[in-house]
Amino acid sequence: MPTVTIDGHSVEVERGATVLDAARYAGIWIPTLCYHPALSSEASCRLCMVELDRGDWRQLVTACNYPVRHDVIVYVMSERAQQARRGVMELLLARSPDSQELKELAERMGVKGTLWPKVTESQRNCILCGLCVRVCEQIIGKSAIGFAGRGADRTVAAPFRQPSEDCIGCGACAAVCPVGTIEVRVHKDECEVEISPFKSRVKLLVCKQCGAPILSTQVCEQALRNVGWATCLPMQACSQGNVGMGRKSAHATFWPELRKRLRLCPKCRRLQTAGRVASP
Amino acid sequence: MIDAPARFASIADFEGFARSLRSQDRTGTRSVRLCMGTGCQAKGAARLYELFEEAIESASGRGRAGNIEVKPTGCHGLCQRSPIVVVEPAGIFYQQVEEPDVAEIFRETVLGGRAVPRLLYQDPESGRKLEAAEEIPFYKVQQRIVLSQNGRIDPTKITDYIAAGGYSALVKALTSMTPEEVIAEVEVAGLRGRGGGGFPTARKWRSCRSAAGGPKYVIGNGDEGDPGAYMDRSLMEGNPHSVIEGMLIGAYAIGSEKGYIYVRNEYPLAVKYLRTAISQAQEIGLLGENILGTSFSFDIQINRGGGAFVCGESTALMASLEGRPGEPRAKYVHTVESGLWGKPTNLNNVETWANIPHIINRGGKWFAGIGTEKSKGTKVFSLVGKIANSGLVEVPMGITLRRIIYEIGGGIRDGKKFKAVQTGGPSGGCIPAEHLDARVDYEELTNLGSMMGSGGLIVMDEDTCMVNIARYFTDFLLNESCGKCTPCREGLAQMRHILQGITKGDGQAGDVEKLQALAEILSGTALCALGATAANPVLSTIRYFRDEYDAHILDRRCPAKECRGLFIYQIDAEACKGCGICLKNCPVDAITGERKAPHVIDEQKCTRCGTCWEKCPFTAVLKV
Ligand SMILES: Cc1cc2nc3c(=O)[nH]c(=O)nc-3n(C[C@H](O)[C@H](O)[C@H](O)COP(=O)(O)O)c2cc1C
Ligand code: SF4
Ligand code: FES
Repeated sequence: MPTVTIDGHSVEVERGATVLDAARYAGIWIPTLCYHPALSSEASCRLCMVELDRGDWRQLVTACNYPVRHDVIVYVMSERAQQARRGVMELLLARSPDSQELKELAERMGVKGTLWPKVTESQRNCILCGLCVRVCEQIIGKSAIGFAGRGADRTVAAPFRQPSEDCIGCGACAAVCPVGTIEVRVHKDECEVEISPFKSRVKLLVCKQCGAPILSTQVCEQALRNVGWATCLPMQACSQGNVGMGRKSAHATFWPELRKRLRLCPKCRRLQTAGRVASP
Repeated sequence: MIDAPARFASIADFEGFARSLRSQDRTGTRSVRLCMGTGCQAKGAARLYELFEEAIESASGRGRAGNIEVKPTGCHGLCQRSPIVVVEPAGIFYQQVEEPDVAEIFRETVLGGRAVPRLLYQDPESGRKLEAAEEIPFYKVQQRIVLSQNGRIDPTKITDYIAAGGYSALVKALTSMTPEEVIAEVEVAGLRGRGGGGFPTARKWRSCRSAAGGPKYVIGNGDEGDPGAYMDRSLMEGNPHSVIEGMLIGAYAIGSEKGYIYVRNEYPLAVKYLRTAISQAQEIGLLGENILGTSFSFDIQINRGGGAFVCGESTALMASLEGRPGEPRAKYVHTVESGLWGKPTNLNNVETWANIPHIINRGGKWFAGIGTEKSKGTKVFSLVGKIANSGLVEVPMGITLRRIIYEIGGGIRDGKKFKAVQTGGPSGGCIPAEHLDARVDYEELTNLGSMMGSGGLIVMDEDTCMVNIARYFTDFLLNESCGKCTPCREGLAQMRHILQGITKGDGQAGDVEKLQALAEILSGTALCALGATAANPVLSTIRYFRDEYDAHILDRRCPAKECRGLFIYQIDAEACKGCGICLKNCPVDAITGERKAPHVIDEQKCTRCGTCWEKCPFTAVLKV
């Protein structure tokens, strides 16, 4: 296993791990914005710059995607690395001056503020890290949002900047957004969930018992599909190749039950369970 | 279409065919070579072609045609004097030919063998009329290797290319060289990439050859997004087979069976000619399975680019080829190991590819004999801007910028003074007069704060404001940036903001230092080379023309008198004839004066719109 020496501390990591992996393993903090362990690294925010020792010269590299293939020496706290990260952070602060999250991160980095004016438009503090785009594509499998426009006009949007047909209203994008740009809004009157600012809307499932909105109908369907699929897989394996049978029986036993339980709000589900326990 | 057997089953068959083409008796053949390059087409070359064809037809009706052909060719280079027509066998070079001239050229030169002096190039110094292209200084100083057949062969005929020696390098490689020997020859040649970075070609090939996994891909980069550049376009339009032959040899050396040529969508003619060339090569068995009966198979597909400048960058180009958005990605793992679809991929610029057949045919030593210690061979440039002879030029590495600009380019247009030349495309630097003796060499240009780039040379004269130039290129790069990474997107936007301020007269002390700080962030942290080199125009103009920045910022004055509001208009009382044209045209009534008496501009009322300056028939309005 190759050794990574970070500011004098050495750790061993698997070949192919990143410098960021190594740093986290060694307990050394490197600020990141566009990195998420569940997603591919695009290295677009450029906040995680560190210096790599190349023998006779040193190169600035992004820690989140620099692969460790042999022993390497890196510097996180060298003057040049800190200055590079500060430079990037100051540009981001100029872009999204109102983001509380960004300010907190800047403070943790020791960046007091920015000397640059605001010259680019950002949609509700969006820093274009792209986590939302990647989570939607790589985890949810929907690609309901993507990048539109080039250069300073780049934004995240649904295709043609119209509400997306593919959005299932799951809110994963909102969950990964590091600056709170994306909001999940519930419209009780229309019984819809909206993923803002993309304007995509999905009908909400209401509790069969009390009528309270529970979750997006599409998420429910996807959940049912995924869970149903997962349940029938082991049965497939033990049904001596009789795939049809295996799946059928899974549908027959697990699905209706699951479906029923999903259509109740948590409160009514609890009540139902309690009722069952009381009078079996 | 081709008078050749359907598919050559062996190298010997092909060689026999090539020999017969090359030894064809062409005595008595008269040919009219007509440039169909972009410049000449824009000036009506297609119509000239028709007229020549008609002339031949009517002459043959009268039994006088004999062996006469009109040959549409690629760009001849001297685009300033387009349309260009060359009549063989004497090689008489005509320029700025117009429709009514066709009959005269046909009668006098084609049939009569005499020149038409009126249409010849006149040497501006001696005043002599020059008949042959080789005598014209524009061509004399050049050394044409890559462009040697441009303007000579018909790019839509593979037989023309073969007759001129085409595909003999492929045959040589396949019959007498191992893949390693091919790479060694390219290494001896010292060839470096012509697309920008100047990376040693042999080293790239060798890494790709030894990379694990497959299939392996080779790609020709014909994206050419630099404003004003048309080297690659002219090459693809004028001699598409040279690129194909180069890629074939490279694929053989690397061990690849599949190639792509990525061409800008704005180049429909290049796409068309490349397609024709590929299908002709496939037809006779120079592309496809078991090429010329050997075990080597290779095919090429054309892909049209979306037209974004950044799509020329290697990883963005590969993403675009895969059908994804053309955005760069990190290159910590090189594309020779993991490129297109994660497979080992070798990308070279089309001019790099077109050098290969010459290196194989004439040997790496011969190639290495041209140029400087570290920059070998020739380089094609498109010479544009405020230059007398704009056009396409190919020069040996090591030639000075001065010789290109003054001997080939004929100096600055309209007798103005030279101020700077930008090399290396939009993110290249501007080199001032004191460095005109710098040589065309990768390292030398980089040391001057510019770069070789892919071959754009933009000449600027004394009327060009260098701050405004920096603003222009920053603006271009920001618009062409993909916007993926923070420093490029935000940093360039900040730079543009500052430069706009300076050129509008709102510059602040400290602006230059801010620009330098932004430049440092960009070069250190941007994801791809677009962002990393984007500050070159700003840094080089600060380095060489700091006084112009200071004049804008501190004195609110534009020394080149280009930035509106940073100079004033005055009427030269001695030159003014009192005609009243300016007075009538001024939109804000800022001009007063009696007829036949000198007029005056009221500086308070004047909005510096420049109308009077444009309208004055006596150039009595001055910028001061
Ligand atoms: C923004 C950008 C644009 C580029 N455009 C081109 C181009 O139009 N043509 C080209 O050959 N190389 C272009 N390059 C360089 C390529 O990335 C690559 O280095 C080159 O094609 C490799 O071929 P070579 O080694 O033969 O030069 C560009 C690079 C950058 C960063
Ligand atoms: S440097 Fe510019 S062009 Fe390159 S990836 Fe970053 S934003 Fe895109
Ligand atoms: S976290 Fe590494 S570039 Fe964004």
